[in-house]
Amino acid sequence: MGKQYEIPVGAQHISLLEPLHFKFTTENERIVDTAANVFYVHRGIEKACCTKFKFRQVSFVVGRVCGLCSISHTTAYSQVAEKLVKIEVPPRAKYLRMLVIELDRIHSHLLCLSHVAENSGFEALFMKTMQYREAFMELLEAVCGNRVQYDFAIVGGVARDLKPTVVLMIRERMDHFRHQLEELIDIFRNNWTLSLKNKSAGAISRDDALRLNVVGPFARAAGLAIDVRNETEDLLPWKEVGFTIVTGTSGDVYARNLVRLHEIEVSMRIIENVLDGLPESALVTETKAFPDGEAVVRIEAPRGELFYYAKGNKTQVLERLKIKAPTFSNISAMVEGFQGSEYGSAPAIIASYDPCLSCTAR
Amino acid sequence: MKKVETTVESLKRDIGNFYQPDKHHFIVMNAVDLGEKLEVQWFFSDYDPPYDITTFYTIIEPQEELPSIKEIISSAWVAEAELVDLIDIHIENTGKGFVLEEDSEMAPLRKKK
Amino acid sequence: MKTFFKALGNLFKRPVTVKYPFEKTFIPEDYRGVIGFNESLCIWCHRCESACPPGAIVFSQDMEGKQRYYYNRAVCIFCEECIRSCPKEGALYNTHQPAQCAVKEDNINNGWNILFEEALQSRAAYAAEKKRLAAEKAASAKLQAEKAAQVSKE
Repeated sequence: MGKQYEIPVGAQHISLLEPLHFKFTTENERIVDTAANVFYVHRGIEKACCTKFKFRQVSFVVGRVCGLCSISHTTAYSQVAEKLVKIEVPPRAKYLRMLVIELDRIHSHLLCLSHVAENSGFEALFMKTMQYREAFMELLEAVCGNRVQYDFAIVGGVARDLKPTVVLMIRERMDHFRHQLEELIDIFRNNWTLSLKNKSAGAISRDDALRLNVVGPFARAAGLAIDVRNETEDLLPWKEVGFTIVTGTSGDVYARNLVRLHEIEVSMRIIENVLDGLPESALVTETKAFPDGEAVVRIEAPRGELFYYAKGNKTQVLERLKIKAPTFSNISAMVEGFQGSEYGSAPAIIASYDPCLSCTAR
Repeated sequence: MKKVETTVESLKRDIGNFYQPDKHHFIVMNAVDLGEKLEVQWFFSDYDPPYDITTFYTIIEPQEELPSIKEIISSAWVAEAELVDLIDIHIENTGKGFVLEEDSEMAPLRKKK
Repeated sequence: MKTFFKALGNLFKRPVTVKYPFEKTFIPEDYRGVIGFNESLCIWCHRCESACPPGAIVFSQDMEGKQRYYYNRAVCIFCEECIRSCPKEGALYNTHQPAQCAVKEDNINNGWNILFEEALQSRAAYAAEKKRLAAEKAASAKLQAEKAAQVSKE
């Protein structure tokens, strides 16, 4: 047995995008043990939503939990508040919510892929993927009015309508992006130097994924076919617009990259179906009721399953709001997934888990 | 959503009989401050249709100690450590300090009188 | 090998970077910008003030009853909740302009907190004064009615 060293990959590190802290115990460059510390950006959002803000204003507060999956949080909160005041959302609002959720998924997956490429040493691919992502940021700005904070879903429906010029812009950019996506799939699948860093790094088996309750592309790459869009048909009609589930087999960084790229293909198909079949109706359902009772909602954010629990007490202010982020479920699997890997691939493995610490430590 | 009542003594037995790793998915653990007492909830979902959500809940006094479910579900240590700091419930084998530092305000999610 | 030739080809292409803020970037025509106020259409119902999530709108009232509208572009999150809750169309509208930066002389943070408290207090003071005047008037009217009843009895 060689000598063991403890190396921290700390809250401030040159390759980390998120403020998390791992302390690795290594022996001859192989990792044997890990300790994690993740609550660096705790802001007390659950407490603020139950004391300072009225229940209609909470959807704007909750959208600022995370910058990458902002639409998932606002939509999930709007759905749980609609269950508490017992109203139904008009069909056009449901389709527009699905459109923005899928556009958001594309830009978030492109960000994660570019970060994995950068940490594996392939900086030119990082720049190329970010260049392709810029087209989608401008598209989201045309649809929602802002690049990062959409404020799109409100209690009762959506805030703005989709103009015909914007529909043309979406179709044009998707056509342009199609052959760019094929080029990216070709590089991530066949490039030899990238595969040296990514194959068999950070692998997790299907049994471990079941035992540790992982969610998102992390679980789907290990062979576990779970996706909340497969399981909830009553709130948003995913199967109607052509959703299919994408899985991998080997559970390592290489499989996760391919799962994300194929999910981008599925998202593009969903967006085209939504634009072709957009129904005509109102945008918002008005109501004067106050929230009462308890309700629970799950939604598929780009990183996995997002869970909301809310309890009302017939006043303007909620009694309790509980948010469970997808990375929260993955923390114990992240800690176990480092076992046996080389210390040099730790940044690439962390990037492939796609952690979002703002959601976790709200 | 199906709510199933349990007690502090029968918690490990109820969850141990119910949870199967290839059929159920443990989502999260939650606690609500009801004023004099606390309601603690455990959420599970199904991997197979019809994809129901099952909730185990129990109502306890603030000073009671709950048993931990880490031996049945190994990934539950994160949820338990978060609740111990934020709502100040007592769970066996779980210490404070994962979320909040020593000089911060304790138990922020409890209602202050 | 393919990537190597593509990288060589990139040497002869234009860079894709946009040198913002010296060059203009893409801004759509319905960009969510600063909120504008049309005083002639306002009915002073205060619905925008109670709907605003961060508290960027406040109304103050002087002792004659005239109200005044204050808006802070640094606190505003441009969510348009105020426009949706306003019952009069056109009193509040979106100017589609990005907010300008604030300098230290504007005192836009601490100065706004003080202004907010003073505005709420001025409204409370006006309401208390009105209540006191109404109570006085009611008391003197009651006194006159009693006197009139006594005179008619005699």
